[in-house]
Amino acid sequence: MSSSKGTKLLSYIIVLLMLSLYLFPLFYLFNVSMKTQSEYLIDPVAIAKSLRLENFMDAWDKGNFSQYMWNSILYTGVSTLLTLVISVFAAFPLARGYVKFSTFFYVFFLISMYLPNPLIPQFALINSLGLYNTQLGFILLKTTGTGIAFLMFVGYIKSVSRELDEAAAMDGCGYSRYLFTILVPLMKPVLATGVILTAIGAWNDIIGPTIYLSDPAYQPVTKGLFSFYGQYMNNWPLLACGILIVTLPLVILYIFLQRFIVGGAMAGAVKS
Amino acid sequence: MYPFGKGAARLMPYLLLSIPVLLYLLLGFGPSMVTVLFSFTDASGVPGQSWNFVGFENYTTFFTSSDSGDRIASIGRSLYFAVAVVVIQNAVGLFMAILINKKLKGDVFYRAVFFLPVVLGVTVSGLIWQLIANPLGGPAQAMMNFFGTSSNFFGDYDIAFELIIFVQIWMYMGYSMTIFLAGLQSIPNDLYEAGYMDGASGWKAFKNITFPMIAPSFTVNMLLSIIGALQTFDIIYVLTGGKFNTTTLAFDVYATAFGSGTADYGLASAVAMIQFLFVFTVSMIALYYLRRREVEM
Repeated sequence: MSSSKGTKLLSYIIVLLMLSLYLFPLFYLFNVSMKTQSEYLIDPVAIAKSLRLENFMDAWDKGNFSQYMWNSILYTGVSTLLTLVISVFAAFPLARGYVKFSTFFYVFFLISMYLPNPLIPQFALINSLGLYNTQLGFILLKTTGTGIAFLMFVGYIKSVSRELDEAAAMDGCGYSRYLFTILVPLMKPVLATGVILTAIGAWNDIIGPTIYLSDPAYQPVTKGLFSFYGQYMNNWPLLACGILIVTLPLVILYIFLQRFIVGGAMAGAVKS
Repeated sequence: MYPFGKGAARLMPYLLLSIPVLLYLLLGFGPSMVTVLFSFTDASGVPGQSWNFVGFENYTTFFTSSDSGDRIASIGRSLYFAVAVVVIQNAVGLFMAILINKKLKGDVFYRAVFFLPVVLGVTVSGLIWQLIANPLGGPAQAMMNFFGTSSNFFGDYDIAFELIIFVQIWMYMGYSMTIFLAGLQSIPNDLYEAGYMDGASGWKAFKNITFPMIAPSFTVNMLLSIIGALQTFDIIYVLTGGKFNTTTLAFDVYATAFGSGTADYGLASAVAMIQFLFVFTVSMIALYYLRRREVEM
């Protein structure tokens, strides 16, 4: 396609403007995190005078982030792993029609997006099961086989040849062995997207911990950061360090897995 | 046909499928149905208190009690939020997707940056914008001062809600853009070449080739953003806590059930039902028009 030099230049200008709207807040955040409180109070917008990495240690200790971080890793890791396994359990037979009423079950799962908000009875249920303020209860709540990962998997599995199932079965491969040793390795790209989208959802949840985890010892890092914010509302350099600490783990995961996201969004959103 | 054997081997898929089905029944579908039930009762979060059926009392309370002015205003605000977010987020997302799809240098980087707020999450994104909009000398204030004015931003009754809408769009524009990009990349280039032969370029090519071809990603984006916008409230929780005229229906459900000292499950469930009817109606109307557009092409 031939687009003239002029429109190409204009495209770059617009993209750069937009980019600054996304990157400036992050640079500013980093800049504030490198200041002392008095530097910040004198002139919040000025460029920081030096790198003060000790601010991070200070925030880490004061915000008790090691505890929160560990909780987040536990909740996110376990619930993401379980969600992916369970989503494969649901997606494969429904994509293939290997169980009766496959279409019914697919739609049944799909309507979870539209149903009335389950928040209140869910809370009552967790409460009456004695799982309020427990790590198990929270992980259970974050584990589901009907979310975005399930939808993407159904779309993706449909593109895997059915003859592969037949060939493997012919060689004596059983159903569950087929799932784990043949299908799952084939699903790597969509699994990566499933991991990142599910993990983002679990890691960033703020309402869940606010409702279900009142004990700070069990709270994840989002809730910890929010309490930290309430406590040090006026000490923005310290807060900025806290925000950056919370940001880092997922950004690292994202950098490793981001190339899968466009393909995954396609498989999940458009095909199914 | 099921290839993995006969008899007992035939049961394996059912066995594994029963795990997600049971989880969903117990924690998703079941509680959803109980919400319907709760909305007709005086159930509360007070331990040990029994509950009774009260018919439509919660619904009449919603519309006629002393604070129903606020509640009805929150319906209007939900609609305003949804329309603003859906229109702007998708328009900007589509526009950016088209620009980036032009094979600009560094496109992978742009894509990653625009998607980044989704990764950062509501708490971090919210606090970053609190920092930018710090009334005590933050960069937004500095800019306002330059123009000889000032603002309380998230603490201002007149603009707090618009700022929340801005942050919501900032957060999810990259998500819409990514889905549009996926749609754009699936359009074969020879369609444009053929169109070019027939004199279709620029706006004409967009209207007659691009727009029909991305109809599926358009549908997905519209539905996701409509449902998302009408159900979102964590951003409000983080930015204003529902103060300064920023309560929506979704936030009202949360505040009535879990806000300080209320724990009125019956009324909160009725609000949830009103929200459900709202989401359902709007998305079904949208789906009807979007599907029709997909078929026409």
